[in-house]
Amino acid sequence: MNQHDVLVVGTGLAGLSAAVRLAQSGARVRVLAKGVGATHLSGGTIDVLGYTPERVERPGEALAALPSGHPYARVGAARVAAALDWFKTQFSGGYTYTGSLEENLLLPTAIGVPKPTALAPVTMAGGDLRSVTEVMAVGFRGLKDFHPALLADGLSRTLPSVTARATELHLPVERRVEFNALGLARAFDQRDFRRTVITELTSRLRPGEVVAFPAALGIASPHDVWSELEHGLGRPVFEVPTLPPSVPGMRVFAVLRDALRRAGGSLLLNNVVVGAERSNGRVSSLRVRVGLREERHGADWIVIATGGFASGGLALDSDWTARETALGLPVAGVPEPGARRFEPQYFAAHPIARAGVAVDDRLRPVGADGFENVLVVGATLAGAEPWKEKSGDGLSLSTGHMAAELVLAESGATKEAIA
Amino acid sequence: MSDDVLGTLLMRDSLDHCVKCTICETFCPVANVTPLFPGPKYAGPQSERFRVADEASPDSSLDYCSGCGICTQVCPQGVHIAEINTQARAKLREKTGHKLRDRMIARPTLTGKLGTPAAPVANWTLSNPAFRLLVEKTMDIHRSAPLPTFAGRTFQRWARKHTSPASERRVAFFHGCGTNYYEPRLGEMTVELLEHNGIKVEVPKQDCCGLPLQSNGMFKDARGYAHRLAERLAPFAREGVDIVGTSTSCTLMLKREALEILEMGDDEALLAVSSRVYDICEYLLMLHARGELKTDFAAVEETVTYHAPCQQQGHGIGKPALDLMALIPGLNVVESTASCCGIAGTYGLKREKYDIAMKVGAGLFAEIAEATPDRVVCDSETCRWQIEHATGVRSVHPVEMLHRASGLSSPW
Amino acid sequence: MAVASRRIQTEVLVIGGGATGLGTVWDLALRGFDTVLVERADLIEGTSGRFHGLLHSGGRYVVKDPVAAKECVDENALLRRLMPDCIEDTGGLFVETPDDDPEYADRFLEGCRASSLPVDEISVAEALRREPRLNPKIRRAFAVPDASIDAWKTASSLARGATAEGARVLTYHRVVDLHRDDGAMTGARVRDERSGEEFDIEARFILNASGPWAAQILHMAGIEDVGVIPGKGIMIAMNHRLVNTVINRCVMPADGDILVPIRTVSVIGTTDMRAADPDELEVTQDEVDQMLEDGERLVPGFKQARALRVWAGARPLFQDARAGEVADTRDVSRTHAVVDHAARDGVKGLLTMSGGKLTTFRLMAQDLVDAMCDQLGEQRPCRTEEVKPPGNEDGEYYDVGSRLRRRERTMADDELICECELIGRKRLEEELVRRWTTNLDDIRRLLRLGMGPCQGGFCIYRATGIMHGVERLDGEQAALSLHHFLQERWKGVWPILYGDQLRQARLDDWIFQGLLDIEHLPGATA
Repeated sequence: MNQHDVLVVGTGLAGLSAAVRLAQSGARVRVLAKGVGATHLSGGTIDVLGYTPERVERPGEALAALPSGHPYARVGAARVAAALDWFKTQFSGGYTYTGSLEENLLLPTAIGVPKPTALAPVTMAGGDLRSVTEVMAVGFRGLKDFHPALLADGLSRTLPSVTARATELHLPVERRVEFNALGLARAFDQRDFRRTVITELTSRLRPGEVVAFPAALGIASPHDVWSELEHGLGRPVFEVPTLPPSVPGMRVFAVLRDALRRAGGSLLLNNVVVGAERSNGRVSSLRVRVGLREERHGADWIVIATGGFASGGLALDSDWTARETALGLPVAGVPEPGARRFEPQYFAAHPIARAGVAVDDRLRPVGADGFENVLVVGATLAGAEPWKEKSGDGLSLSTGHMAAELVLAESGATKEAIA
Repeated sequence: MSDDVLGTLLMRDSLDHCVKCTICETFCPVANVTPLFPGPKYAGPQSERFRVADEASPDSSLDYCSGCGICTQVCPQGVHIAEINTQARAKLREKTGHKLRDRMIARPTLTGKLGTPAAPVANWTLSNPAFRLLVEKTMDIHRSAPLPTFAGRTFQRWARKHTSPASERRVAFFHGCGTNYYEPRLGEMTVELLEHNGIKVEVPKQDCCGLPLQSNGMFKDARGYAHRLAERLAPFAREGVDIVGTSTSCTLMLKREALEILEMGDDEALLAVSSRVYDICEYLLMLHARGELKTDFAAVEETVTYHAPCQQQGHGIGKPALDLMALIPGLNVVESTASCCGIAGTYGLKREKYDIAMKVGAGLFAEIAEATPDRVVCDSETCRWQIEHATGVRSVHPVEMLHRASGLSSPW
Repeated sequence: MAVASRRIQTEVLVIGGGATGLGTVWDLALRGFDTVLVERADLIEGTSGRFHGLLHSGGRYVVKDPVAAKECVDENALLRRLMPDCIEDTGGLFVETPDDDPEYADRFLEGCRASSLPVDEISVAEALRREPRLNPKIRRAFAVPDASIDAWKTASSLARGATAEGARVLTYHRVVDLHRDDGAMTGARVRDERSGEEFDIEARFILNASGPWAAQILHMAGIEDVGVIPGKGIMIAMNHRLVNTVINRCVMPADGDILVPIRTVSVIGTTDMRAADPDELEVTQDEVDQMLEDGERLVPGFKQARALRVWAGARPLFQDARAGEVADTRDVSRTHAVVDHAARDGVKGLLTMSGGKLTTFRLMAQDLVDAMCDQLGEQRPCRTEEVKPPGNEDGEYYDVGSRLRRRERTMADDELICECELIGRKRLEEELVRRWTTNLDDIRRLLRLGMGPCQGGFCIYRATGIMHGVERLDGEQAALSLHHFLQERWKGVWPILYGDQLRQARLDDWIFQGLLDIEHLPGATA
C-alpha cells in the first residue's frame, strides 16, 4: 500500500488550496478525486461574504459578526485574510488577483445584478460598479450563454446611476454556429481575432464607456488578451462570469494544478473514496474505488474536500437520510425524519439548506470518534448557505488553507513530541 | 449512489448522474478541435435518453467520438460517458453495417498473421505512397496514417523458445498484439527486466483482447476474443499469479472495459482475470513499494518527454512510469501536459478522422518539438506510432528505459 | 368589471380544453356544427396534461371492469389508426411479481379473451431480455398492446383539425357565468384572461367537458349535487426510460402499478385519493414514498434512479350523488357517463361528460355529441372514426429518437437552447412568433423546454435572453418570467428532491443565485 503524508479528497478550490499549500511546504501530498472540481463551474472570483442577508460592504467586519454556528466562525477573519494573501501569490505574469477583506468589489453579474466579491482577477476588476458609470456589454452571436442586453437592462434597473448599453458581434468562431465560453476564449487567444474585435467594436463605443465582455478573454494568455483589448479600445475592459464552463475558473484550476505538480504532489482522477481503515483513533488508510477495484492509500493526514450535495460529497437518499459519502461522518442540520426538508417556495429558507459536517476549531468533525487526523473543509461544512451568502469561494479557500496550516503546525508538533 | 456495474446497473443508467455541468466538454480533445462531434455530454448522457434499447440511434455524429475516455475520467458525478458512447456506437454500426476496413483493422491478429511471413514486402508495400493512395481510395485508410511495421517475427515464437529461470515469484505476461507482431523486442525486454528482478515469467498462448473490435462496434466478436483470452489467463489468476501487460489500453480492457462496455459481468474467467491484471509500470511500482524492485540503475544521461496515454490515465493509477523513471539517475523527464495524441487506437487511421486526430495531437506534437527530447516515452503502442509519425522522434515504452538503466541492453 | 362589448354566436359551446373537449369540438366540426371551445388556461392544462401517458390496451380492466376494458380495446385500435403520430408503440407487459396473487393471472388471461384483447404470454427470460431492468423475480409475463400517447400532440392535432373545419378554439377564456332562460341554456359569459375583457357567447347547446371542474361549472347554471369526485393521483417522471415497454403489475388495479415510458422519461403512477378541489392538489410525502416503493417492486434499483418531476392530476370520477357515497374512488367505474341535465335537472341544452380516461376520449366525445343530437332531434352521423386529424397523415408512430434525428440535420446551423430536450433556437423563435406568448410556462409545456434533467438550469437563462433580445420581453418582464419559471419548476421538484436530482438543484442554485445573483434582480423574487 502506498503511503503519503497527506491525502486530500476533492479537486475543488478547497482541496487544491490545501494540497498546494501543503506540497509547497514539503509534504508528500496526493489528491484523490472522482473527477474535476467545481472551479470549472464557479465564476473565478473569490466571494468571501456578500449578503447576511443585507449586502456586505466590509467582509472582514461582517464575517467576524457571523453566528458561532457558521463555518467562518471556526476560521476567523485573520485566517481568511492569510488565505486570500496566499491565493494571490499563486498568480503571476500579469494575471493577478486584486481586492481584500477590507471592502467588497461590486461586479455586475450576467443579468446585471451588482454582486459583492472580495477578490477578482485584473481582467474583471475593471467592472467595479463603485466607480463605473457607463458600460457597453458585448455579446457574440453563437454564444448563447451570454446575453448582453439582459445584462444592460438588468443593470439599468438595479443601478439606475449607471448607463448600460448592449451590442452583439457577429464574428466567425472556429467555424461553429454555437460555442461556449471556452471556444470563444480560444478564439481570443488568437491575435487576428482580437484585432477584428477591436476594429468592429471601436466605432460602436461612446467616449467614457467601459466595455464588458463575457468571461472568455483567453485561456492560454488572459493577461495578454485583456491588456491588448484595453489598449486597442483605449478604455477599461472587463469580463463577466456567465454560465459554465467558467474560463476564469479553469484558469484557477490550471494554476493550482500546475503548482501542485511543480511542488511534487500528485492528482488521481476517477478515484472514489468509499471508506477508511482506522486504528488508535485515527484513520490509517482510505479505501478507494478505482474502476472496479478497491485500493488502499495510507496517509498520516486526511483532508476531506468533497463538496456538498452538488458534488456528491453529501448525499440525500430516497429514504430521506443524509450522509457524508467518503467516510460516513455525521451530518448535522438535517431535519428529523418526517419533517420537511424543503419549502414549497423556491426562495424560502429551506430547512436542509445548511446541512453538512460540523467541525470544531481545528476543523475536526464533531460527533465522530476515531477521526483525529481528518480535517473537513469547503462546501461539505455545515452552517452556511454559500450560494445565498455569496461565500462559497471564501469558505473553500480559507478552510482549505487553514487545514494545510493546521496539518503543518500539528505535524511539526507531533515530530517534536516524538523526538 | 450505487455504481455497481457487475450485473446490476447498466452503463446507461449512470446517465442519471449527469447535471449538465459541461466539464466533460471542456476536456474532450475531439470536440475542442472539430464541430463534427457535438461533445461527450451530448453524445453520451444527453442523447442516451432518446435512445431505445436494441435500436440504432439516429445520431451518426456519435461516430466521431474517439473513445479516449477522458470524459469519464474528469466527470465529477461519475457518469460513464465514454462507455455509453461506445455502446451506442456499436448499435449504430450494427445498423449501418461494418465497413470492410473496420473489420480488418479491428483484427490485429489477422493482419499480423498475414503480414508477418512476408514482412519485408508488406512493409515496403505499406510505405509505398502510390499503394497507400490506392488503399485510401478503396478502403478509406488515410494515406498518411501511422501504420506500424511488421517485425517479421512474433514474440510468441521467441517466448516458446525461451525458458524463464525458476522462482517462487511468477507473473503471467499478457503481451498483446502490438508486441507480438510489431514490437517483439519490447516483449523480450519486459521478460528480461522481470527476470532480472527475480520473477519467473509465464507467457501463455494468447490472442487479441478484442479492444479494437469493441471500439469499432463489433461487440459479439469482441466478446468472443475477450472471453477466449480470459480463458487463457484465468488459470494463472486463480492460482494467485498476477498478470502484467505492456499495452496499457489492453490491460484496461481486461481490468474493466470488457466488463462494463461488453457487459460480460457473468463471465467467470474474465472476472477472475480482471482483478489480477496490472499495467506493467503499475506492477513495477508495486514491487518497488514492497522493496522488491532492483533500483541500482546506471545513469541514463538523456532528456525524454513522457506522455501518459488516455487509456493509461483510464486506469486511475496516476503516472507510475514517472515515478519509476525518477529512480534513474541522470534521466531528465519532461512531463507532457497535453492530454491526447489523437490516434485513439484505430480512430486516427481512418480517412475521415485522420485530420481530426492530427489536430487533437497538435498540442502534444508542438510540445515535443519545442522540448527536443532524445526520445519520447509512452505506454501505448498506437500512441508511440502516432507520435513518431507526427514528430519524427523515436518513441519507446517506459520498460525500455528501465531495461537500459538495469544494464540489460546497450544504448541505441 | 368590464362591460360586455361584443358577443359571439354559435350553435354549440364546449367548455373545457382537455382531451374530452377537444375531441368533442373536433367531432362537432366534422358533423358540420358551428362550435366554440373555451378553456380558462392553455390547452390540456387540466387533467389531460397531467395524466400518466398511457394508451390503455384494456388489460388493466379486464377483470374488474370488463365494459371499460372493451372500450379501451376498441379505442386503442382506432386511435392507433387515426392518430399514430401522437402515439409511441411501446407495447405493454403485465407481470406477476412475487407480491402478487398468482390466481389473478389466469383470470387476467380469461378476461383478455372475453374482451377480445390480444394477449400473448411470454417467458420470463424473454421479458427480461426485452427489459433488462425488470424485476428478475417475476413469475409470469403477458404482452399486450399498451402504448404511450402524447397529450400535447393529441390536443394540438385536434385543435388544428377543428379549427380547419371552422371551429373556434379560445384558450385563456374563462367561463364566469352561464345564462339560463328558465329551463334552457342560452349561453355563457366569458372573460379573456389576458385582456380582462368580458363578453357573451350565445349558443343553442352547451357541452360541459370540464372534467373534475364539472361541478364548479354546473354551479353557475344553478345545478348542484352532481357527483363528480376529483380523484387525485400523483405521478413521478423518472429521468430516463428505465423500461421501453409499459409495465403493469398483474393484479386487481392498485396504486403505483404502472410504469410508462413516454418520450424521454418513464412515469410511475398512481395514487387515488379523493380531493375536494381540483385546483388544490397537494403532493404528499407519503404518496411519494409509496410510489418509490411501488417502482422498486417493478424495477429493482428504482429508488437509486433519478426522479425528475412529480405532479398531481385529478380524475373526473362520476358517481351520481343520488346513488350513495363511495368509499374507495378506485371502485367508481372508470367508464364514462353522459349526464343529461334535461332529465335530471329539467334544464335543456346542457349535457355534462363525466368519468372516462384519455384513452377513450374519442368515444366519450362521440357519445356526448350523439346525446346532444338526440336532444336536438337532429341525426348527424359521427365521422371521427374515419377522419385523421392533422399531423397523422404519414401513418407512422412517434419515435422517441425523432428529436435527435432532427438535431443531426440542424446541428451545423442552429444553436441548441434546451440541451436536455434538444430544442433549437429556430424552433423557439418560431413558436414565439406563432403563439404570441411570452409566458415561459406555455413554451415549456409546448416544447418541453426546461423539462429535462437540468430543469432549466441552463436553458431558461438562454431562452429568456433570446426572448428579451427579440424584444418580446422587457427587462421587468424578463425578471418576472425567470421568477415564475423558477417557482413553477420548483413546485414539481421539491417533493422528490433527493439523490441526483438534489445535486442538480444545488448546481442550479449555484448558477442562479451564486453566479447570477437572481434574488437581487428587482421583480425576480416577487
